[in-house]
Amino acid sequence: MHPSNFAHWSLSTARDLTLEAARDASQVRRTSTKELPSGQLKKLLDSRSERDVLEGLRRVITMSYRQPPSQTLPFFSHVIKNVASPSLPVKKLVYIYLLQHAEHEPDTALLSINTIQKSLTDTNPQLRALALRVMSSIRVPVISQIVSLGIKRGAGDMSPYVRRAAALAIPKCYRLDPNTEPQLLEYLSTLLGDKQYFVTGAAVASFLELCPDRLDLIHPHYRSLVPKLVDMDEWGQLATLRLMVVYARKCFPRRTRKVKKAASSTYTNAKPIKSTKGFYESESESEEEQEQDMEEIVVLDPDLELLLKSCQSLLQSRNAAVVIAVARTYLYLGTLDYLSQAIGPLISLLRSAGGIQHIALYNIVQVCLAHPEAFVKYYTHFLVRSTDAPHIWRLKLELLTLIFPHAQPRLQSLILAELSHFSHSGSLDPALVKESVRAIGRCSQSPATSPQTSARCLKLLLKHIGSADTHLVAESLEVIRHLIQRDPNAHRTTVVRLAKHLDAATSPQARASIIWLVGEFAGIDPENNMAADVLRILVKGFADEAEPAKLQIVLLAAKVYVHHLNANPPPELPKVEEPKPSPSLLDDYQEEGGFRDEHLESPPQAMESQQQEKPHIIEALYNYVLLLVRYDTSYDLRDRARVYKALLATPTSTQLASLLLLAPKPVPHTPSPSETRKDYVLGSASLVIGDEGGVGGLKGYEDLPRWVKDGHEPDPALRDQTNSTASSTYVSTYEAAKNMSAAERLDAAAGGSSRMTPDSMLSPRSLNGMGGHSGIGAGVSKEKQKEKTLDDWLAEESGSEETDEEEDDEDEEEGETEEEESEYETESESGDEGDRLVKDT
Amino acid sequence: MSTIEALYIFDEQNTPLLEHTYIGRPPASSTLLPLYLAHPSPRPSLIYLPNTNPPTLLYSIIQDQLLFLCPCSSDTESLQVLEFLHRVADVLEDFLGSPLLAGKIEGHYDVVAQLLNEMVDGGVIACTEPNALRDVVDAPNFMKSLLGGVGLPSSTPSSLTPSSSPFSLAARPSPRLGPSTSPQSTSPVPWRRANVRHTSNEMYVDIVETLEVTLSPSGRPLSAIANGTIAFTAKVSGVPDLMLYLGCPGGIQNAVALPVFHPCVRLNRWKERPGELSFVPPDGRFVLAGYEVDLLGSAALESFSASATAKSLPKLNIPATVSVHPSLGPTGSDFEVRLRLNPRFTGKSASPHPSTAAAKGGLGRGMSATSFSSSGTTSAPAIEEMVVHIPLPSSVRNISDLRVIRGIGDAEYGPGDRIIEWRISSREISSLMSQNRGGDIGATATLRGTLIGQEDDSSDALDNGGPVSFSASTYDYDDDQTSSYQTTLHTAQSKEHSADADSKRIKSNKVLMPSCATVSFSVKGWLPSGIKVESLNVDQKRSKGLGSGVTPYKGVKYLCVSRRGVECRC
Repeated sequence: MHPSNFAHWSLSTARDLTLEAARDASQVRRTSTKELPSGQLKKLLDSRSERDVLEGLRRVITMSYRQPPSQTLPFFSHVIKNVASPSLPVKKLVYIYLLQHAEHEPDTALLSINTIQKSLTDTNPQLRALALRVMSSIRVPVISQIVSLGIKRGAGDMSPYVRRAAALAIPKCYRLDPNTEPQLLEYLSTLLGDKQYFVTGAAVASFLELCPDRLDLIHPHYRSLVPKLVDMDEWGQLATLRLMVVYARKCFPRRTRKVKKAASSTYTNAKPIKSTKGFYESESESEEEQEQDMEEIVVLDPDLELLLKSCQSLLQSRNAAVVIAVARTYLYLGTLDYLSQAIGPLISLLRSAGGIQHIALYNIVQVCLAHPEAFVKYYTHFLVRSTDAPHIWRLKLELLTLIFPHAQPRLQSLILAELSHFSHSGSLDPALVKESVRAIGRCSQSPATSPQTSARCLKLLLKHIGSADTHLVAESLEVIRHLIQRDPNAHRTTVVRLAKHLDAATSPQARASIIWLVGEFAGIDPENNMAADVLRILVKGFADEAEPAKLQIVLLAAKVYVHHLNANPPPELPKVEEPKPSPSLLDDYQEEGGFRDEHLESPPQAMESQQQEKPHIIEALYNYVLLLVRYDTSYDLRDRARVYKALLATPTSTQLASLLLLAPKPVPHTPSPSETRKDYVLGSASLVIGDEGGVGGLKGYEDLPRWVKDGHEPDPALRDQTNSTASSTYVSTYEAAKNMSAAERLDAAAGGSSRMTPDSMLSPRSLNGMGGHSGIGAGVSKEKQKEKTLDDWLAEESGSEETDEEEDDEDEEEGETEEEESEYETESESGDEGDRLVKDT
Repeated sequence: MSTIEALYIFDEQNTPLLEHTYIGRPPASSTLLPLYLAHPSPRPSLIYLPNTNPPTLLYSIIQDQLLFLCPCSSDTESLQVLEFLHRVADVLEDFLGSPLLAGKIEGHYDVVAQLLNEMVDGGVIACTEPNALRDVVDAPNFMKSLLGGVGLPSSTPSSLTPSSSPFSLAARPSPRLGPSTSPQSTSPVPWRRANVRHTSNEMYVDIVETLEVTLSPSGRPLSAIANGTIAFTAKVSGVPDLMLYLGCPGGIQNAVALPVFHPCVRLNRWKERPGELSFVPPDGRFVLAGYEVDLLGSAALESFSASATAKSLPKLNIPATVSVHPSLGPTGSDFEVRLRLNPRFTGKSASPHPSTAAAKGGLGRGMSATSFSSSGTTSAPAIEEMVVHIPLPSSVRNISDLRVIRGIGDAEYGPGDRIIEWRISSREISSLMSQNRGGDIGATATLRGTLIGQEDDSSDALDNGGPVSFSASTYDYDDDQTSSYQTTLHTAQSKEHSADADSKRIKSNKVLMPSCATVSFSVKGWLPSGIKVESLNVDQKRSKGLGSGVTPYKGVKYLCVSRRGVECRC
């Protein structure tokens, strides 16, 4: 990384040289490894000298990366022999080899288990953790019980490293043998309540692997997990945030409260967040229409608020995934206030490397679709740069169009200038031209855009018609067509202008678009319509037109003719109402038919005769066009002409033709390109891949659960700081405390003691002073803290029973105002307690 | 659910370097690589391959010319995997030395294997902190391998050996061999390794700002953002607690926006007092913080269209700007690129700017602007490595008569990637600067070229009677000959429209014109935001393990870079 590393630069000049040298060196190394005969290698491995063994192992490991396993498998027993070596480096390499090859030789691998098991009791925590990790990673199902026991031991270990290894081993053990699940759940529940952020992060990850649906395991630990979020490593944060979004959806019903709508306009957009499901499920939804002046405000559960608040400091994380995860939490759980805090950090992701920037842009677009207003002030970040790759500028253009309706006029003109710059001078990439013209179209179509701005967009596009760039002209006309269709009556003069451009426009697509538009407008204002004139002019040059234009000319001719027939019905029209066809109608029909036949034989004559009989110019034009098309080279064109001819064969019955040709066209709606992925959860890969991944997202994609219905949520008392066994007894207390904020409630539960143990780790934020704690002593110690809830105090006073509570006093907001009761406990006691808890549950 | 299923690394020739499977049976690297390469370039970092078994999401990054691939069979948080890949690359670089080379990985498979095993456990990302990994994995020690166990203590700084980064391989305590490992082998601070000892204590702050400026055709800046990175190199014994004070002429909270911090930074301190970074650093080199600075300020939009006069342009103080003037010449086939250099960056310390001259003050003893190999210093920043890129549209067939008409430098056209490269060496810049010493505008240089289109259509034939630009004439006549049958048809018309022809020509040549030009350069000793390090202190009370009275050597470097970052449109 180090995006701007001096070292890199200073080295970059000498880099080629270094590259060569390095490659040479590696060549030598590689050959030396290869050349060593297996006998000699075995001798090395069997050697008594630690250095020789190490060297041998290095070579074997190197081989295992360069060659198929069959090459390194012969050394299996020689390598495994060294598992008992007292040397840590040797052990590590043996373990690596073992993990790579155990599956191929399960029986021999079992021989090593005993030794590894012994390492579980080593004095060095690092070695214990390593042994536990390796043992659980050996994919030999027979040992599942041993692994399970190892995890049990590890879960009660004093070193957080070992406990973390135990947490990570749980899903591996489950994969080995699913029957161990009940035991594993026990261990997991213990580990989830661990005081050490270092452990809980891994425990949450394991939980998500093992049993993401067992939210009942989370309840007792919710209030200790959430404050630990700040201290976890980034991967633990990701796992916890992912868990918490699901948890919150299932446990905190969306409650809303009506309040008088604030007069200020700033509140107009402050609707409850559009997490659609929750919104619609809220019970007061039906009343919303009646009380227009009332607005709903989301009432956040205190526990949910705790989560949202603890996320705040994660927004400055250097890990882009964490920032997105927080934004996701805010988008789907929080209110607009929270979400707006996440906007800036989201934008800051655009500074990162190309790949991350790309995916971050998808996520930004996703948030922007829901709340475009908040992004307006970051417009400078969305300006397309010439160095941007296509997948980047596509998303940037989309963002510009999304914020466009919400921007102030000056910014709007800037965006339009920007878009038009790329549309006319961006011939670097035809796709960019196309996309930016479409973006202008979307800008003007957005419902929030004022008519003036819309007209401005149209003007901008009209300017492009004369350009020499065919892509531009074609695309502009396409968009102009869409714009005109939205409001045909307002754009009559525009069409006239466009028709004038037919002289200049060269691109077939452009001509086709214009001709189609003229045809669409042929019916408006029949006395003063230019469609027929346009047709007359076009017919003159019909032979030189390209096929798309020809198609449209034929269509135009048909349309004009239908309009003509509708406006001036043939004199026989009154008789049409009679059930039987009149002779004249029949005449007419025959005449048409005859005309067709004549065509085949002698077209010029037919023309003549037709002109004599039907002097009206429109019909003449129409027939002439059909005649021309008849001898065109294009099948498609000839086929179409035949269809029109059949449709309009009887001038008196034009209903069907009118229905087909003059049907009102649906107003084209061009949604933002990312609209299709709107339903995917923020941060998921399905969001990036889109519909390509199949309906409903990629494999493994999980949609957010719906908000739980009010009244169906799990009892909030479950989250009280209790053991799961004792939880049910505290309901009444919770009711009493219901109106307190989570922070207050946490305070109400007296802060427990904490003390440092030699093996404990400092909480990074407390070391930082981040957690609001003063000094190191208040940091989370790995040791279990004994803590009392209010109930315990009462219980103790009445002298009934003593319940050990697991409580975490890392309260972000309030600091420690309560006096703390300290209870000291020895290491072994804590271990015992862990054991006891496991037995109890 | 498991996120990381496997990791594949390929070298610059796309030959497989390393294949490490964590969990499951992901498609082999030999099946994935062709599918990856089949994707048209530029390849996005996430590619969906529905035809593999199982259907695979393929994440990829390229770092130091090495390709890192990570297949995933199920939907995961996309950025999580990408971030992980970046971390893997960082960790490997940290352990094996930067730049990361294929040969280094090949030579240290044992170390790489240990690292990869530590970083991911059963598909779950476990630990990616380089310092934490150093506690459990021994970095390859070049001295040790050289001495081959002669018995010498191998705690000599290994920076003596070639190809190892001076930062990543610091002096280490004697390697833990055998079971004698001390019980305190794990560090209490997750990002800092235990038992750090250095013979000479040093701290370096490198602030690098990358310019991203977009200028409108009129020269008005549309956006000007400087993306800053504070890289910190800590080689301090024990567990030091450091305070870094940043200052800025306009107040740091007004300048720095959207900061991102390494987890070691105490956020509360920053929030209470912006500009103060309090942290316990990891050992070695790391990125302390990232930020961005909007050089235009928040009022930029108001000035954008409020008045059109050039006077009201937001003052943008950047070393070089460029402007493109297309459609010049009689047929509009010429273009001109004017480069304007800011006179402040002459490299001569004749008139040091007040804001930069004070940079030395306030810093503790030993803190001095580190001398650069070149002329650029804090008091007299100089532009280096100046390159102007002018991308051309695909319809351009060739360029005739590309020359620098004012100033100096080498301009080259690469038909393959359709880009004109105009390089000006720092020596040429300084001579250019010295020529117009008195001018306020600074030095300028101009490049002019004539573009020739892919296929000149009939509109070129129309040009028959009109004045033909000298430089492009040969081609025009060629085309006329080939399309002479058309010409004859249109001769009569073209006579009438000869006045019209030029404008048509210009119109059609417009398609050939470049739409922008970008400038790349680097300036040492100067930051566009004006941010500077006020002081860097060790908090003696909160630090541990650093002998009393030991004041580490401190060094600060500033660097402003533009990698095609200054872009002018036309």
